[in-house]
Amino acid sequence: MQLSQRRSAIAMLAPATGLIAVFIMVPMLLTIWLSFQNWSTQTGFSTARFVGVQNFLDIFSQTTIGRDFKAALVNTSLYTAASVAIILPLSVALGLLVHQKVAPGGVFLRTVLFSTYMVPMIAVALVWSKLYSPTEGPLNQMLGWIGIGRQTWLSSPSTALVSIVILNVWQQVGYFTVLAVAGLTQVPEALYEAAKLDGANPVQRFFTITLPLLGNTLLFSAVIAIINAVQVFEPVALITQGGPVNATNVLTYHIRRVGIERAQGGLGSAMAVTLMLALIVAIALLFAVSRRADRT
Amino acid sequence: MSLALADSRVLERPRMRISVPRAALLLLIIAICVAAAFPLAWMVLTSLKTPQETMQTPPVWLPATPNLSAYAQVADVVSLGRSFFNSAVIALTTTIAINVTSLMAGYAFAKYEFRFREPLFALLIATMFLPPIVTLIPLYRIVGYLGLTGSLAGVVVPNLANAFGIFLMRQFIKGVPDELIEAARVDGASEFRVLFQIVAPTVTPAIAALTLFAFVYHWNSYLWPLTVLLGNADQYPIVISLSRLLSYNRGAMNTGLVMAGATLAVLPPVVLFIVLQRFFVDSIVSSGVKG
Repeated sequence: MQLSQRRSAIAMLAPATGLIAVFIMVPMLLTIWLSFQNWSTQTGFSTARFVGVQNFLDIFSQTTIGRDFKAALVNTSLYTAASVAIILPLSVALGLLVHQKVAPGGVFLRTVLFSTYMVPMIAVALVWSKLYSPTEGPLNQMLGWIGIGRQTWLSSPSTALVSIVILNVWQQVGYFTVLAVAGLTQVPEALYEAAKLDGANPVQRFFTITLPLLGNTLLFSAVIAIINAVQVFEPVALITQGGPVNATNVLTYHIRRVGIERAQGGLGSAMAVTLMLALIVAIALLFAVSRRADRT
Repeated sequence: MSLALADSRVLERPRMRISVPRAALLLLIIAICVAAAFPLAWMVLTSLKTPQETMQTPPVWLPATPNLSAYAQVADVVSLGRSFFNSAVIALTTTIAINVTSLMAGYAFAKYEFRFREPLFALLIATMFLPPIVTLIPLYRIVGYLGLTGSLAGVVVPNLANAFGIFLMRQFIKGVPDELIEAARVDGASEFRVLFQIVAPTVTPAIAALTLFAFVYHWNSYLWPLTVLLGNADQYPIVISLSRLLSYNRGAMNTGLVMAGATLAVLPPVVLFIVLQRFFVDSIVSSGVKG
């Protein structure tokens, strides 16, 4: 029995483990290895030539390579920070609306919000590029109704990145709302009852009970939101091509352009490793901050 | 009659007691639903407009005479049937394979004792948090070595297993009673029969959720197919064909055409979501927060 179970375990694990090893883990290790090589993506791995940390020096240098990469790193950081800063509070607010029992329609709201998460990002990008159209788009028209002038949206360097943040929030917020609702259902009803007896108003109850008990949910949501945000690609590839004036050049788009289209595999890999390190630092900071918040 | 009476009494009581907050919340919910649905409504409405209507300033909201000519035109510009077929092949093959590989690995992690079980599981789960761009460049080369560049197989093969599926299946299979599995083993069933005939039917909510997740993810996926297909238009899934509609659109200025294509591409994942949404929400709750 014992031996046969061991054999079955191997048979059961082999397909998934083998596929993930070959198509995710080995490429991850190769990315790290390639980041220290001079290598053209059009040739075999055997043509790679060791160059030490030269790729990293290049992507942080004052040359065009360095300037473009650093701009993409900054854009991605801004984009990620803005996405998380909007999505987290919004998902809690919407989660409270879905979760409340005072008015009907909560579950319907959840369905509507979540259905946008099913829409292909390509379609989202296409539709929003039309909504944002300065003259033919309905967004500027509606802003006009309430006396706000025409916005430039995707066509100006100062508003293009935030326009992409908005369409991304629209697509993703339903997912995070579901996570928030899951967190809310775990808050014991008895705590609210006790606070009510103590005379706490709804706002006090939210800040003293709901928000602290949502801590783990919010931490998980923040991690997922960060990882999702660095993957933004379709609206940039399809609509802005990184412009205007590099304002929407984000890392997923830039790494693909350098590593695949320009076939500079070593440079692209060094950028990918930097992205990975930046993600690890960001998430570690997030955990540190949340632990400190727990203690106080 | 008496039922209707009882209903109205239930509805009336809370309305009389807390009518203002209740009405305000309901209005807020309706307003948010309208705002959330607006981009999709605009997409569908625009697909039914005439080319002139799509170009007017200020924009026309409702087409004077809704017509489907934009949909017919989409089929002229891109090979629509072929694109849908490619998307279906990609989404269905990956979905079926992910279910099978995840059930197997999830079963092993949930019900077998073996050395390095926890570290191996942690290592696999860590891949869930890896953005695809980090592995894209070497993966492109590896698929090239396998001779799959430019083909649907190249799109599909790296995506036949994933960590989320393993995680989800382990969570659900853990809840299957050991006695059920032991009884089947005593009857002489092989481990594969135990898994697929005894265990799998008890975790259908997880299978439904993983099916929806995998189908939607791979139907919508753009970065990898774009990278591996290398301009081989025959093999394009619908999302890449859509992006080609846009470049066609730049010359013709027909926004309706693009919106018609987008509407068609959105339908399969959204319809599947509406059918399976109960399972999807449940599994996100159980995998994301409690897990």
